[in-house]
Amino acid sequence: MEQKKLIKPPVEIRYREELEALKAADTGRVPENWKMSPKAVRTFILGSSKPVVYQDKEYKIEKKYFGNDALIERCIVTLAGNRGLMLVGEPGTAKTMLSELLSAAISGVSTNTIQGTAGTTEDMIKYSWNYALLLANGPSREALVPAPLYVGMEKGILTRFEEITRTPVEIQDSLISVLSDKVLNVPELGDEGFLFAKPGFNVIGTANTRDKGVNEMSSALKRRFNFETVMPVREVSMEKQIILNEVTKLAQESHIEMSADEDVAELLASTYHELREGISSYGHRIDKPAAVMSTAEAVSVYYQTMITGYYYGEERMSVDCLVQSLLGAVAKENRDDLEKVKGYFNTVIRDKSNKEGGLWKEYYEARKWLK
Amino acid sequence: MERILRSKEMAEIRLLPIRHHSPACAFHVEQVIQSWKPSIILIEGPDNANSLIPIMVHSETKAPFAIYYSYHDTTGQISEEKGYYKCYYPFLDYSPELAALKEGNRQEIPTAFIDLPYGDILAASKEGKGLLKEEEKNNYNDDYLLSRNDYIRQLCEKTGLRNFDEFWEKYFELNGLNQESDRWFSNLLIYCRLARENTSEEELKEEGCLARESYMAASILERIEKREQTGEVYRVLVVTGGFHTPALQKLLEEGSKKEHRKKVSSGDQGVYLMPYSMQATDALNGYASGMPFPEFYQRIWEGIAEGTPYHRAVLDLIVSSGKETRKKEGFLSTYDEICACQMAEGLALLRGKQEPGAYELLDAVLSSYVKGEYNLATDLPIRILKKQMQGKRMGKLCEDANVPPIIHDFESWCKKFGLKTRSTLETETTLSIFSNSRHRQISMFFYRMVFLGTAFAKKVKGPNLQLKRDKNLMREIWSYKWSVQVHAALIDVSVQGATIEEAANSLVKEELKKEMGAGKSALLLTQVFEMGLKEQLFLVYDQVYERILKDTDFYSIAEALKSFMMMEELGSLYETELKFGLLLSVSVQKLIQLLPSMTQIKEEDLVPCMEALKLLYQITGHKRAKEGEFLTEKESYFEALEQMILDTQIQAGLNGCIHGILYGGGREGLDQVEQVCQGYLTGTAEQRKKTALFFRGLFYTARDLIFIGGQFLDRLDDFFGKIGEEEFMELLPELRMAFAYFTPRETDRIAEMAAGLHGKKKEEMLEMAEVLPEWYTYGKEIDQWIQSKMQEKQ
Repeated sequence: MEQKKLIKPPVEIRYREELEALKAADTGRVPENWKMSPKAVRTFILGSSKPVVYQDKEYKIEKKYFGNDALIERCIVTLAGNRGLMLVGEPGTAKTMLSELLSAAISGVSTNTIQGTAGTTEDMIKYSWNYALLLANGPSREALVPAPLYVGMEKGILTRFEEITRTPVEIQDSLISVLSDKVLNVPELGDEGFLFAKPGFNVIGTANTRDKGVNEMSSALKRRFNFETVMPVREVSMEKQIILNEVTKLAQESHIEMSADEDVAELLASTYHELREGISSYGHRIDKPAAVMSTAEAVSVYYQTMITGYYYGEERMSVDCLVQSLLGAVAKENRDDLEKVKGYFNTVIRDKSNKEGGLWKEYYEARKWLK
Repeated sequence: MERILRSKEMAEIRLLPIRHHSPACAFHVEQVIQSWKPSIILIEGPDNANSLIPIMVHSETKAPFAIYYSYHDTTGQISEEKGYYKCYYPFLDYSPELAALKEGNRQEIPTAFIDLPYGDILAASKEGKGLLKEEEKNNYNDDYLLSRNDYIRQLCEKTGLRNFDEFWEKYFELNGLNQESDRWFSNLLIYCRLARENTSEEELKEEGCLARESYMAASILERIEKREQTGEVYRVLVVTGGFHTPALQKLLEEGSKKEHRKKVSSGDQGVYLMPYSMQATDALNGYASGMPFPEFYQRIWEGIAEGTPYHRAVLDLIVSSGKETRKKEGFLSTYDEICACQMAEGLALLRGKQEPGAYELLDAVLSSYVKGEYNLATDLPIRILKKQMQGKRMGKLCEDANVPPIIHDFESWCKKFGLKTRSTLETETTLSIFSNSRHRQISMFFYRMVFLGTAFAKKVKGPNLQLKRDKNLMREIWSYKWSVQVHAALIDVSVQGATIEEAANSLVKEELKKEMGAGKSALLLTQVFEMGLKEQLFLVYDQVYERILKDTDFYSIAEALKSFMMMEELGSLYETELKFGLLLSVSVQKLIQLLPSMTQIKEEDLVPCMEALKLLYQITGHKRAKEGEFLTEKESYFEALEQMILDTQIQAGLNGCIHGILYGGGREGLDQVEQVCQGYLTGTAEQRKKTALFFRGLFYTARDLIFIGGQFLDRLDDFFGKIGEEEFMELLPELRMAFAYFTPRETDRIAEMAAGLHGKKKEEMLEMAEVLPEWYTYGKEIDQWIQSKMQEKQ
């Protein structure tokens, strides 16, 4: 059967071969119901310089998460323990990607996920009923429709809870007893209604620090999680590498035959980096825009420019188009942000174009699109 | 470990590479000494400290302590400035050098330092390099040589460790404690060789490494030659920083005797032991000289004998930091501590370490104790932990420790003044400095101690000349407390002189070498004045004079002028013959020169600028002026002011202030002031907003105007009538400032006049009609009745 094309295949499909190879070569101790040892999980996420040989083929495990290696190690150890893992941080710092990578490596699935919204209810987390069966046969396991938390406990796999702070507090709190007692009670099923979690079950939550105060987590729930704060990438060179990696992947998936331009990626990486940090590499003080200046945003700006170039242009990255996409990404909520970006071009980019010339000059000239 | 056999002399040299401050290294050094039983132990360290060894190994001496080296460059060997230099060589219990000294002492093996004396190292280094680096505190330890190169950066990247310290902990501490000593040292040597290969020869020369190494090699050979011949093999154990070992080996094998000559006279060098603190040792770690977290590794060192020291130290710190967090924040549970332990163990396993170390401990606490996003508001547990890992221990020296003369001087003064130096309790003393000359002497002594940065005395109350406050007070209250740190701080400044006064004098001279403006230099003059350093007073005086001439900063000169005024006023009380006339007139002239350029100041500069203008007015109108002084200055002052107000863009507050002065000086009539005021009141929108600012300036210098003419209030009232509420709210803060200069009585009078303008009396404005309780109850009843009616309707 021909495999269906997907816009964004889940991690376990995208990296199936790597995961298989790592599993086969794994010599470490594997926690119960995990697909591989903690060390192999670490290698999967942080990459390794030595290729892994599997079925006579060499697989190079590339680095998938850039930034803080110690954080990954802490995450893995947390998941092997008794507490849930909560990833917090600014939007676009790859929290979701990290949680997908962890679940795919540890449980082999990254799709057992609750999407937190303001409308999330308890039955989307635990279970609901197939009402036709419920009416016909009364409450039974067959009539029960398990939701991700139920599935995770039953199969002993990880349950991901995205954007947990977007859901109302009382819904969040339904996790408390499950996380501490590892048991879920379905009163309708009577004595048989106790679901004891299998080993391997745990919860990875992600929460956005910009949502703070929307539905602040209760301290009782906080106590059941280990928190890891995911920071934005601190180095421009690393940010550039992330942009290139991600865009190349996106382009492959959409069958765009155009290679990413390293210089443009650098331009964009340093723009995002400087606007986020509020200081340029030359030391200019910069007004920070209110919009989210994350690496993920930079990737989407780059990709948009790439698509435009591919379909409407001459199959190359145009700096004019880059500035237009940048404008669209920054000036979303607030008109003031546009002024700030203009100010940035008129000071920092001007000086850079004078000093470095080349692409920077082109970039500076493209400021005419900022209006 | 490298062995060199010198069969001719029947000697065997063993070179032990070490890293300063490392429990594993200290442990293995002890092991080697016990098993190899050397005839002599030679240790890296300036050889003029050899006399201190008996005190260092004395049973009453407790680490941390440091060898303090000082050098006064009287002959200009290092630079023409002939400055003072000092550096520290800190020791902890787990410093391999100290371990070697102590083990040598236990086994009665002679020990000695073999490096160049401090002054000669300085002479062999290039300016700004090695020990001549411009640091607040220079450290003799040179472990930074091991960690700063590109090689280690790549190594860390490859092993996935965050820095050199973690790399070291993993491979040399955690996994190294159980290794054979020989193997441990040879591993270290491999690392050191690689680190050395990645450092350029030029750098080594500039930092004085090469000179030191050739001197050390020569010292070793000399010791072998001069020993007593006993017919037995002479075993020499050489303990040096690992970075030098490869070079020493080469030099010794070549047998070169290119001795580096001592150039520097020993009379100018000082070497003392001083008690040190864990904090200070940690603070010296800026350049990776030794390991961070001294208390953590101290516990490791203490626990080596019982096995698995890391497990215990990590557990202890998880519990103690948890306890403190609970005390301060209250939410931490025992379960959090259990999770932290699991995390530390899990991380150690995952990272391939035999036991969890400092970094696993930090990670565990970060993960398990910090709830929510990690930021300044939530990082308390980490801060607590880091503090506990740093520790608070203070070292102590045995009674026989030699101290520099400045400490004797300090003690004799304390005895003379009856100040307690044996108790560490804080004592308060009240000094009538102006009526009792002995009290003034004590006060001067205290000021000198403060100036030397000794934390011995603290002024609680009394005239504060530096801030120009409380000048009316006649007594000073001081609290003083003796502690080990006072001694340490005095040793620290001992290079500057043999007595407290001498040290203060040379410190003042040092200060004078720095770049500073008129304001700062006048402050120094004030300090010298307080300390009663008569000798320095004239010197500083001249310097201040020159600085004023050079300075072009209006505010800095104004600040200086204020200090001079004050010192002149108080001069007779402090019994000084210094005349401030010259300084006063030069700063007045300078300020008047600068005045015309000051018209468009920023708003935040308004207050200092107005203060300066007022000060100038006071000085030029002072009684001295009547005696004929400052006559020309007075004229040019007013001329400058008149020139300033011609600038139409002048800052409104300043404008008001100047008009007030001109009015007060009789240079301007009331109507002129009113006209300017009218100009703002009837100006365009933006200018109108500046009215309040103008009044602020005006009332600062001439607040009586509001009562004299009567016109001002009318105009202001008129103005308030015209502007809208929004504009009024905008002006309100400035208006409040403007009226803040009036006394309460004056404010009352203004209120009365303002009320009069609206046909009301003062009382009517201030009083509010009382609401009778019955009215209130009645109102409440009506409210309830309406509510019930409305509910009925629904």
